[in-house]
Amino acid sequence: MEPIMVRALVVVGLVVAVLLVGWLWRRRDGTVRETAADVRLADDHLAAVGLDLRDAEAGAILLGSPTCTPCDTVKDVLGDIAQERQGFRWVYADAGEHLGMAEEHRVLRVPTLFVVARDGRILARSSGVPRHDDLRRVLDHDLDSAA
Amino acid sequence: MTQDLVTDADGRLIIDVRGPRFGAAITATVLAVALIVQGPVGVGLVAWQWLMFTIATFAGLAWSPYGMLFRRIKRRFDLGPPPATEPEGPPRFAQLCGFLVTSIALAAFALGAVTAAWVAVGVVLALSLLLAVTGICIGCELYLVGRRLAARRGGGA
Repeated sequence: MEPIMVRALVVVGLVVAVLLVGWLWRRRDGTVRETAADVRLADDHLAAVGLDLRDAEAGAILLGSPTCTPCDTVKDVLGDIAQERQGFRWVYADAGEHLGMAEEHRVLRVPTLFVVARDGRILARSSGVPRHDDLRRVLDHDLDSAA
Repeated sequence: MTQDLVTDADGRLIIDVRGPRFGAAITATVLAVALIVQGPVGVGLVAWQWLMFTIATFAGLAWSPYGMLFRRIKRRFDLGPPPATEPEGPPRFAQLCGFLVTSIALAAFALGAVTAAWVAVGVVLALSLLLAVTGICIGCELYLVGRRLAARRGGGA
């Protein structure tokens, strides 16, 4: 086979591989995973990002970065949820300013969202843009079990 | 060519989200052809793409030739208003990544490390393809890695 044909095949293979990775990526992105274990956010981490849950039912911390377009979409989602639910508080924090928290909870990318109960217990987390209904489900589930 | 640009309250350039993906598709095509034909023409195409990254990174996306081409096509074929807009920061960061890796490729060509150079070109091709088809935010994936390395180098955590 001519070398140019080999190279063309390599490029075609690369394109197929990238499309496959992109497809898998998009399927995974934004998945809200409920955390089964009793993992908590330390009080000083909560204080550092300025999330005050004393008169709230649940809250969320969004870790982002200054050059993160999907973070703005997640902020919109959280704004919608906060409008629906009186007892829901959320804050945005730059992940780079809270590296200790990022390291402790193995945050690898932005946007990463932590949904927390009022006692700081992590109810769920997601990376990427979560869907409204997934967040509502987590919050409903938590409030039912707390009642 | 820059009169129809929009800025936000902080004076940051606001762009049509379709622009970077259009540019990434051209970038991917140019680099795919370069990888296939190789030789002087291939190296020339890599150098051309390096120049595109350089302009977009250092002069800003307002001056990006692919961005200008996109605005022209948008007007000519009346593609309608943007489905969404975004600040130029993240895509400009992606251009910087492209600039850095194509610089490595060109340096490798100059040093005679031809295979290494084409591998670097393949990396840029893969990333621009990924951007063109998924709109993925490369800066988001690299941000924490970068901040962690910076913190370590600075001696703090």
